[in-house]
Amino acid sequence: MKPGSRVQNSSFLLSAFPVSNVSYFPPCFFFATHVSYLPPAFVIFRPLFSSLIKYRQAFLVGLQSNLVYRWNFAVRGFFSLFHLAVVFILWSAAFEGNVNIGGFDLRQTLTYFITLLVLQFFISAFNEDYQISEEIRNGLINQFLLKPINYFMYRFSIFVAARLVSGGLIFIPLLMAMPFLYEYLTYPVDGWRFAIGIPAILLSALIQFSIAYCFGMLTFWFLEIQGFVILSMAVETVLGGQIFPLDLLPEWLFRVAQFLPFYYQMYFPCAIFTGRIDYGMAIQGLGLQVLWVLALLALNQFLWRRGLRRHTAVGG
Amino acid sequence: MLHYLKIWLASARYSIMRTLMFRGDFIVWSLVEFFWMGVNLLLISVIYEHTKSIAGWDKYEMMLLVGTSMLIQRFLMGFFWSSIFEMGRNVRSGHFDFFLAQPGNIMFMATTRKLDPDGLINSVVAGGVVIYAAHQLNLTPSVVDISLYGLLVICGIVIHYSLLVMSISLVFWLTSAQGIEGTYFTLTEFSRLPREAFKGVVSQGLFVWALPMVVVSNAPARTLLYGFQWEWTLWLVVLAMVWFSLAVFVFHRGLRRYTSASS
Repeated sequence: MKPGSRVQNSSFLLSAFPVSNVSYFPPCFFFATHVSYLPPAFVIFRPLFSSLIKYRQAFLVGLQSNLVYRWNFAVRGFFSLFHLAVVFILWSAAFEGNVNIGGFDLRQTLTYFITLLVLQFFISAFNEDYQISEEIRNGLINQFLLKPINYFMYRFSIFVAARLVSGGLIFIPLLMAMPFLYEYLTYPVDGWRFAIGIPAILLSALIQFSIAYCFGMLTFWFLEIQGFVILSMAVETVLGGQIFPLDLLPEWLFRVAQFLPFYYQMYFPCAIFTGRIDYGMAIQGLGLQVLWVLALLALNQFLWRRGLRRHTAVGG
Repeated sequence: MLHYLKIWLASARYSIMRTLMFRGDFIVWSLVEFFWMGVNLLLISVIYEHTKSIAGWDKYEMMLLVGTSMLIQRFLMGFFWSSIFEMGRNVRSGHFDFFLAQPGNIMFMATTRKLDPDGLINSVVAGGVVIYAAHQLNLTPSVVDISLYGLLVICGIVIHYSLLVMSISLVFWLTSAQGIEGTYFTLTEFSRLPREAFKGVVSQGLFVWALPMVVVSNAPARTLLYGFQWEWTLWLVVLAMVWFSLAVFVFHRGLRRYTSASS
């Protein structure tokens, strides 16, 4: 996976935010002078709504620009089926002569990997780290420093749009393979799995993005981050449960993994939905996941502020 | 032949000097490949914590197979990957003109220009995995078996090289070959599986017979495990010749379509 294999330039997105389109007045300025008849709750939240509109625009532009790459995502999704074939062949062979591995049968194990594939396309950070890195290196972030736009929120809005597109498109190859996959799918039907699993997915997406954002921020210190990213990807892939379900690790190692952020990147929501962890573990995990989200958000802010001190805006 | 060897040595010298200039980069990329090899071995270790055999292959036999597959891939990465990957970009950007003007076979010039010492360093690690697994299995291969293993590994490299050249040659028709390398990596995953694990008609037909991924790693591994088996040896040698011929054909057909770029 050497030179530039995940790099995709996203500078075209920035054209959606020409300086002239952005108001330099705080949103509350307009409100106080023109729309004072609105209810008090709206008065308080008006700035919030106004800023959300900005990011909604970023989201919509992100949606359009990612739809341009729909074929890339679809092809990527199609080739994920080959990866799934490797998983099926390997684990089917491993289950020969074993009814259970780690307390789960073949169908449950394969369900885990199919769910993982769907989640990957919905919440994984694909190349966000490179996009951020490129924007810093090329000086494209300079224009954000002049606008009332939070760079993290801007990038996150685009990330959400991108994952909605890629997540939606993975269903095309998956539905094509469904006549074959269907007999392997087995999900536990507990209400709490949805109640905890859905927030867990959203928080996982936030962790995924935050880690990618942190790596992007490293560009302030290092010219080239690709090596770090792929190095970290190996660790994330293993400790996120993408190579094998983490519960197959020795007990002590599994315990250690639960305290690391990678566990909450992918394994945690996947394990909730596929019945690999029980209610107690899920509740405890959700608490730890929230803590990791907060820690990573704080780290993002810290790196952004520190990085900007080193940043030299060059060019026009 | 001597002429090409001289050219290749000059390119190798240039690549090594370049690596010495970017030592940090070299260390990071060596670690990257080392970690990913570790990931594959970890998967094997974890599965064998819970089962005794995968399609009749025990833990160290499987490690030998995975080690062989990694060895072939590391050699490919070390000797050819960067050049072939850049070929895709060069055709798009028009920089491919540079290779057309060089005194030698274009396919040779374009695909052997850059060496990646980090891939080559890790081929030593992959070789170490094979030796470790062979030692655990108490194998005592003869000199002939080891030579044959070497020959089959070379055939494997030729097949991987041919597949990669063919995939990247699509750039002559498609203009953009972005993401094709991902396809190649997905396909190489099959080479870490034993032939016996492929049970279905479709999986056997596609991955064992149509595509050479499985035989590429299985043939050399079996040679170390069970000694010379003529059917596997013959199969791989013939496949290497067929796929290489196909790659030469596709590359040159593509070359006819090359129109350069810019002014």
